[in-house]
Amino acid sequence: MDWLFFGEISLAGLAMGGLYSLIALGFVIIYKATRVINFAIGEIMMFAAYLFLAFAGGMELSPWIALPLAVLGGSILGGVIEKVMIRPMLGESPIAVVMVTIGIASILVGVVELFWSADPQLLPRFLPREPVFIGPLYLAPKIAYGFLIGAAVLILYLLYFRFSRGGVALRATASDQAAAYSMGINVRRVFNLAWVFGSLAASLAGVLVAATGGLSPQFGIIGLSVLVVVIVGGLDSILGALIAGVFIGWLETVAGAYLGGEYRMPATFLVLAVILVIRPYGLFGTHEIERV
Amino acid sequence: MFRNLFSSGFRKGRQLAGLGGLVAALTMTAPAMAQDKEPIVFGGSIPLSGVFAFAGVHIHAGLTDYTSWINSEGGINGHPVEYVMEDTAYEVDRSVAAFKKISGSDSPAVYYGDSTGFMKAIAAELNSQGNTLMSGASFATALTDNEQYPFQFIPGPNYSQMFGIILEYIASETGEGDKPTLAFVYSDTEFGKDPIENGKARAAELGIEVVEEIVTKPGSVDVSAEVLKLRRVRPDYVVFHGYVLSPINEFMVQMRQMGLDTKFMGTFWSSDKLIIDKMGADADGYMGVMPYNYYDSEESGPMLDALRAQAEKSDPEAGYRPTGYMQGWFNAMVWTEVIKRTLDAGKELTAENMAASLASIEDWDTGGIIGIPVTVRDMSFPVGRIWRVNADEGRYEPVSDWIHLD
Repeated sequence: MDWLFFGEISLAGLAMGGLYSLIALGFVIIYKATRVINFAIGEIMMFAAYLFLAFAGGMELSPWIALPLAVLGGSILGGVIEKVMIRPMLGESPIAVVMVTIGIASILVGVVELFWSADPQLLPRFLPREPVFIGPLYLAPKIAYGFLIGAAVLILYLLYFRFSRGGVALRATASDQAAAYSMGINVRRVFNLAWVFGSLAASLAGVLVAATGGLSPQFGIIGLSVLVVVIVGGLDSILGALIAGVFIGWLETVAGAYLGGEYRMPATFLVLAVILVIRPYGLFGTHEIERV
Repeated sequence: MFRNLFSSGFRKGRQLAGLGGLVAALTMTAPAMAQDKEPIVFGGSIPLSGVFAFAGVHIHAGLTDYTSWINSEGGINGHPVEYVMEDTAYEVDRSVAAFKKISGSDSPAVYYGDSTGFMKAIAAELNSQGNTLMSGASFATALTDNEQYPFQFIPGPNYSQMFGIILEYIASETGEGDKPTLAFVYSDTEFGKDPIENGKARAAELGIEVVEEIVTKPGSVDVSAEVLKLRRVRPDYVVFHGYVLSPINEFMVQMRQMGLDTKFMGTFWSSDKLIIDKMGADADGYMGVMPYNYYDSEESGPMLDALRAQAEKSDPEAGYRPTGYMQGWFNAMVWTEVIKRTLDAGKELTAENMAASLASIEDWDTGGIIGIPVTVRDMSFPVGRIWRVNADEGRYEPVSDWIHLD
């Protein structure tokens, strides 16, 4: 066995998994706080990546200004979606709310095609291009730097949830909405905050992933593939999203390298099937969660 | 600054939106001079939206402009031409529905199919109806099986023939006694897998060693593991198939970062100017097989000049027209030739008669669309040329003669 090769592809897989974790985090934050499965998460990623393209490509702003602007735009979009389309659905059946998110996804694809056309796009280069070596192991620079940015943001998220008032309110609401409400927490605001933060994570991941794999109106499909990650990790577990993201990224890459690209998906779905049989609520999910 | 916010995509987007609004049948009619005879209908299931819309809008423009042009020339033997289409979003069920609707209401003599899936799905009905000849966006090898698909043809070389042209070029570039090495990189789709087995067999015949096969899943985010595999075999050439843009760019950039001097090649849908526009300098040296002259090539000819004039007339601001436009135009050109030959022979416009007319095409001068006279073989036009990206000039330049397979 070529251990150097194994090490290199494992490193690539783990780094890619870090980006999966970031997307999954966006998914889980929204579900944990509001119990809404957001099927538009991939399209929010896509929209933010197109905003980056507009700012850095169309307006020719520095990518390091365009990146926060695009992420901010994606976050605001999440907040607006919650306020305008999700909040009026409070109390409706979960299926109805899920259908609304699917509708939002279609609308976002249409908007993107309207403004940017259906052509495939590449984002302006903004990550260093020099190959990265960790010891003797090669790592593609986009993946390496994308992972570092994503990891930094993940740490900020964890610190925010642990120590800030907003984070505590979010965790309290996730644990027991009625109790949180009775303690004076503005639950509606927390819902909105969850969508903003979830969309922020997804938007950042969207720009980083699009910088690696290109961008098109169908880009949002990646969000659905990350559904595997959140189900394996547990729909309402942030820790689960982080661990499952890294694991699924590694598994996909190793399966692709040794078995062929056509086995990437079967390998992950095999793991999904096993996890669903052994722990239907995911590796770290809450036992009582209701699945759609 | 804000005018640039959405770049040129905004204008294209508005065009797309406008076209998308034409969900109902769109009809191009001939001038009054040719209306004393029954119109001949060009039908089409056209992907103006969905994953293939980036090409569909240009295919539609090519078909529309050709229809306008042929009508301005008096139609086909005095028959005006009507182009009737529906948007399919590149979904087989919608393409089938569009075909049934247009067949029922307009009796098209010829029809543009938007995908291999649709063209396979509709084959039984097309064969039983027996009054429409079909071609389209597909270059699938399977569709050149005359037994199963007697009324469908490929408006160029099929994908296996494209690989054949690429491999002949590689063999011609190789010094005596050398054995070039090659890797195939293709998507895990029916489209991607189409030419691989035939390609491997042809490579073996030509003494080219296939050292690696990489399959990528559709929508792959990262291909660095696949690039690492290629680094170990260090192929002289990588041939891509089943992609439009990504992940070709990532393979090229990462392999060059690793210091490999591999040459990169691709088939028709991977050889649009989009690659240059989006990749910039990174696209330099990329090669593609193309059966038609590029819109901005230095070649000329009466039909190529007419195409450029019509394109300019219909949309003066459009500038360069992509390969989808050329493909749409060439489809309609072949339909016209086939219909003309059938009418000239005093035969009815049945699928069987038109298929026979197509098969009779030999040493046909396409007026510069293809640089040499072409002959139909097994319902396809097995001809092409290798073009290489000159990133400084922002265009493809020919690096081989035209190659016509037997």
